[in-house]
Amino acid sequence: MSKGPRSPRPRSGDVPRSTREADQAWRAFAYLLSGPLLYGGAGWLLDHWLGTSFLLPLGIVGGMALSVYLIWFRYGSR
Amino acid sequence: MSIVALAAEGGAYETPGVADFWQPLIGSGAFAITRASIVILLSVALLSWLLLAGTKKLTVVPSKGQFATESAYGLVRNGLGRDIIGSHDFLKFVPLLFTMFVLILLNNLFSVIPVVQFPTMSRIGFPAALAFVVFAVYHAVGFRKHGFVGYFKSIIPAGLSIGLMIPIFLLELITDLFTRPVTLALRLFGNMFAGHLLLVLFIGGGEYLLLHGAGGLKIAGVGALGMGFVMTVFEILVQVLQAYIFTLLAALYIAGAVADEH
Repeated sequence: MSKGPRSPRPRSGDVPRSTREADQAWRAFAYLLSGPLLYGGAGWLLDHWLGTSFLLPLGIVGGMALSVYLIWFRYGSR
Repeated sequence: MSIVALAAEGGAYETPGVADFWQPLIGSGAFAITRASIVILLSVALLSWLLLAGTKKLTVVPSKGQFATESAYGLVRNGLGRDIIGSHDFLKFVPLLFTMFVLILLNNLFSVIPVVQFPTMSRIGFPAALAFVVFAVYHAVGFRKHGFVGYFKSIIPAGLSIGLMIPIFLLELITDLFTRPVTLALRLFGNMFAGHLLLVLFIGGGEYLLLHGAGGLKIAGVGALGMGFVMTVFEILVQVLQAYIFTLLAALYIAGAVADEH
């Protein structure tokens, strides 16, 4: 496990690199589900209360964008 | 001959569906003893016997039973426990991981073991209960490691701009509290449900075609039964794989909670 300046997130014990990569892959998948689910759900609720219809698609797309941003921020930018 | 005409000829063919998975044996309603309940009890009895027999007379040169038990245990202990959670604190989780692995594996394999032939995990309650145990364990571990507030703080990646903290925090929270445990249960459930449905369709349908079909349909029945055999072999692969993946993900979630940072 390389601990250069590009991987500043220390893990306890001697967790091998392949494990961290597997964890990242599964986590990225979970993010991609959570983003549209959470913000699409929030948009749907707001649509329901406010009587509008544009917040659900906005929430889904925005949630997806946020998920992708988070994956990039966590695993791609450092 | 159309399916309608075929149905008119013999007893009507019933397409397998959700109803095939609800098999109450004693009683009815929510507290009925179902086929799945019996199968999981059988699996626990069988596992206890197998593991006790496999570890009874331990010798340096292992017998076949001891060798099989040690191999399975070694796979979970080293491949899933030590390599994923890390050598510092993996040992206390090995009993949980090993129990889950062998329990799920045997219950999955029961889907193709003659007479039993029912995958317990195709009833959502069983994988949901297992996923709930994993959920409780990895959050408890996280709270113990980081403290209540510290645990919630630890899920936000460092260096995030202030404006994005709340939306990202909510996203991380939903991922940890909802998406991961739910997908864990649904993955196992879906694989076992669909796999069993497929086998029921090919084998049940093939048998029906063979017994009640006319002429060319009998040949199609033979084809369907052959396909049923192929799918059975494929299902055994899926069953082993799903038991492994469930345990792997349980270990990964625990590893994430005991890690210094997410």
